[in-house]
Amino acid sequence: MRVSLTTHGGLAAAITRQLPPRVADTDQLSPEVAAELRGLIDAVRGDPPGRPDPAARDAMTYTIVVEHGPEPTTLTASDTAMTKSFADLLDWVERNAA
Amino acid sequence: MSAHRTLSCITPPFILTRLLDSDNHAIRDAALSTLLTSAQLRGERGVRSLIAGALVTPGDGRRSIFDCRHSTFLPSATLVRSEGEADVADVSVNQAFNGLGTTRDFFRTVFQRDSIDGRGMRLLGYVHRGRHYNNAFWDGQEMVFGDGDGEVFSDFTGSLGVIAHELAHGVTEHTAGLEYHNQSGALNESLSDVAGAMVTQWFLQQTADQADWLIGAEVFTPNIDADALRSMKAPGTAFDNKLFGKDPQPDHMDRFVELPDTDQGDNGGVHINSGIPNKAFYLLATGIGGYSWDAPGRIWYESMKASTATTEFQGFADITLRKAEELYGTESREQQAVKEAWSGVGIQVSTTPTLRRQ
Ligand SMILES: [Zn+2]
Ligand SMILES: [Zn+2]
Repeated sequence: MRVSLTTHGGLAAAITRQLPPRVADTDQLSPEVAAELRGLIDAVRGDPPGRPDPAARDAMTYTIVVEHGPEPTTLTASDTAMTKSFADLLDWVERNAA
Repeated sequence: MSAHRTLSCITPPFILTRLLDSDNHAIRDAALSTLLTSAQLRGERGVRSLIAGALVTPGDGRRSIFDCRHSTFLPSATLVRSEGEADVADVSVNQAFNGLGTTRDFFRTVFQRDSIDGRGMRLLGYVHRGRHYNNAFWDGQEMVFGDGDGEVFSDFTGSLGVIAHELAHGVTEHTAGLEYHNQSGALNESLSDVAGAMVTQWFLQQTADQADWLIGAEVFTPNIDADALRSMKAPGTAFDNKLFGKDPQPDHMDRFVELPDTDQGDNGGVHINSGIPNKAFYLLATGIGGYSWDAPGRIWYESMKASTATTEFQGFADITLRKAEELYGTESREQQAVKEAWSGVGIQVSTTPTLRRQ
């Protein structure tokens, strides 16, 4: 399984969208860490997404693509509409992805 | 580090609102964090509007800085510095505190505006938000700052221009209320950059000719070859490197960038096409000469207050010409400079409405 994170928008919108995605590959993770990642992804899938605050300015959006099996899954959130489960997954990707 | 307490969740919101005006710091801060926490946890519209009410009760623009400790969940942040309190050990906290104070003082001294809403709204700053977070934003009530990833970006509180940019989003919301997409969104972005530049120049007491007109020159790590996030003097030249390419900002209507009105398209390029009105303000400030916050700033500020949610570049340009005339007289040097500034970015303004183009 391969997980990649890209970001869009924000104060530095012109730059962030050009930055390479952060990627984690479960083949390169210990079984425990890979299992933790699967649990986090399942939690996001089970949560209804948050609603962005229309008053927000310079908020960033996040796209996490999970490639596993035939169909990739795309998970999205923004700074002002982030569920606890998405925040946990994002935190994991920021700590573990290359 | 002062571990703050929140008051019981069953304290009725109207009592908490009253406590915000307590002379006792500890009580005030506890009331504030309780209001914020409960509203964000429950996401209740009613509670949020109560808070909005509490925030606009004359607070004299009092500052509160919260430490997110790398969480993205703002209600769990800790209050670490309030108005009247001395420096703390954490540099980010002090930078946010000082930057918000300078911006508040700028609006008060230069435009006689009392904080974000003109009625002393409290200034709430959140630092150390998230992990590797390459951003700062305004969420409608608060200003939030990331530490940067440490590779490309560093701490966003390190830039006074960025802090002023975020606070100015609040001012725009309370005045023109410009919709955040396409041209009105790019104008919204530009007004924040103009505020960022003016506050920085005011702090340094620089004239338009002395200033560098860069926004966010301080947010990059030393490894990164970039001048800034944006250049108002020369949009499109703030950076050009292998890692993230060339600055895509246009400096003229001929190079306006059409982008989709989506998250991926930066809501129609609000951070891209802001280069056009940014350049117009730079041309005005250097055309008139002296301090940008004097006549140029006054014309822009009055024009922002006279704009609406759907004002676009041409409409704003027309308003600036009218404001220059009201403030400085018909055919004044200032009004002539406004005309030339917009002409320099491909927007023709005239006092004859029939010549107005879309
Ligand atoms: Zn902005
Ligand atoms: Zn930090």
